[in-house]
Amino acid sequence: MSKILVVDDEKHIRLLYAEELEEEGYDVATASDGIGILERIEEEEPDVVILDIKMVSSNGLDVLQEIRNKYYNLPVILCSAYGSYKVDIKSIAADAYVVKSSDLTELKKKIAQVLETTVPA
Amino acid sequence: MTFQEENPSGISKADIIVGIPSYNEAGGIAHTTEQAALGLKENFSQMASVIINCDNTSTDGTGQAFMNAESHGIPKISIATPRGIRGKGNNLKNLFRKVLDMDAKAAIVVEANLRSISPVWIRNLGEPLFKDFAFVSPLYVRHKYDGTITNNIAYPLSRCLYGRRVRQPIGGDCGLSSQMAGIFLKSPLWDEDVSQFGIDIWMSTLAVNEGLPVCQAFLGKPKISTTKPKDPALDMGPMFRHMVVTLFNLMNAFTNKWTTTKWSKPTAIFGVGISDVEAPPALKVSKDRLYMKFREGFNTHWDVYRTLFSSENLQKIREIASLDLDHFEMPVPVWARILFDCAIGYRRKILDRSRLLEVLIPLHYGMTLSFVNKTEGMSHHQAEEFLEDLCLVFEQSKPYLIYRWDQ
Repeated sequence: MSKILVVDDEKHIRLLYAEELEEEGYDVATASDGIGILERIEEEEPDVVILDIKMVSSNGLDVLQEIRNKYYNLPVILCSAYGSYKVDIKSIAADAYVVKSSDLTELKKKIAQVLETTVPA
Repeated sequence: MTFQEENPSGISKADIIVGIPSYNEAGGIAHTTEQAALGLKENFSQMASVIINCDNTSTDGTGQAFMNAESHGIPKISIATPRGIRGKGNNLKNLFRKVLDMDAKAAIVVEANLRSISPVWIRNLGEPLFKDFAFVSPLYVRHKYDGTITNNIAYPLSRCLYGRRVRQPIGGDCGLSSQMAGIFLKSPLWDEDVSQFGIDIWMSTLAVNEGLPVCQAFLGKPKISTTKPKDPALDMGPMFRHMVVTLFNLMNAFTNKWTTTKWSKPTAIFGVGISDVEAPPALKVSKDRLYMKFREGFNTHWDVYRTLFSSENLQKIREIASLDLDHFEMPVPVWARILFDCAIGYRRKILDRSRLLEVLIPLHYGMTLSFVNKTEGMSHHQAEEFLEDLCLVFEQSKPYLIYRWDQ
């Protein structure tokens, strides 16, 4: 079973994602901000990270850089209410970018795609 | 191959090397050398550093200009291929040898004719090499019509083949660890095209396939050289041939890797957050000339297309050739299959290899015109998004290539 770590400062988003993704058969862990993200990743060993950008105590794009410095190949999907961050150069270090919606079809599609990606080590 | 060396300070060891490959670059090398020296002084002052000019025995005084350049106390060495031996690849092979001979931990390569280079380039290309990365590829700010060979061929094809999103795989400037230099030096895949301009795609491809950590260095500024920005409609230089042949040759060498690779992964970026980000200079494109060159090529090579391309592709190319300039469009799935068919034709030796490249060039002009028509009203970021979608089409079309490769 693939494990997903959802990093979002809004509780109802974390609950919604956890419920919907668990229904899809994923194991889900959540975090309310990006502080201490590397320790959480080490602890949870997720297969995918879903990362909000605009969080109260941290910026998802900076958190993404922090993740990439240590975990070169861990799939990270940026998930933001704002499409405008897609033009920020930092966002290209993410595997995918999804604009938040109550319909999680696009997000689920991207999760399936990044898990399907095979790149030789 | 041996090299001639001038080492006035008698330097035999260094922690970090900046290598400047050149051939007849007397007008630009002093500036590059000075900026590289400042970059080393500002960012690597605790380390023993050296700047090495790797030259093809230039006849315009490049060696002298390098030796006379201000280097702020950083020692300089000049090495040169024997007279008559040319090629950027040959220069870099000499650099790889020096990296190992001098027991250096890292090397940074910057081209000799850079007007826009700043000390930040040296920092961003070099620092990741001391944080476990083995190869650092450059990430410049580029005009949407600059680098059409990169945008149409090198980036989408290498990304869909090897599954790594390295945006400027033929950028020309890079950083490499000593481990990477050793791998490059021992590689059995070296050939004549690699010894010329094929070296850039060769290094990027080997780096992503060796499984060592690769990252991109954001350089903040556009790459501006002492030569004028090129209209993409101008004739293709030897770089096109060397790059495409090398890309196709490596497809043969790494078949087991790319046939098992699906989709792609991003590549970490080092150095985002630079304050002095500059917009690239304007670039004029002659659409009429692109259209004319596509049409001329279509009329001249139609018979060859029939031997090279699948029937579904042929039909599409014929349709595209009937479009007028303003409505001209090369659908991306067609372009992806054109490149795939060319790679297959190259592998099967359906055509003489130089003839195959001659046939591909007008189609590349057609794709460039299509890109210009589609992105004319777009901002830089919108054009980048368009290109990302283009790459996704290549990745989606890959089963076509895999299916036909061994047929």
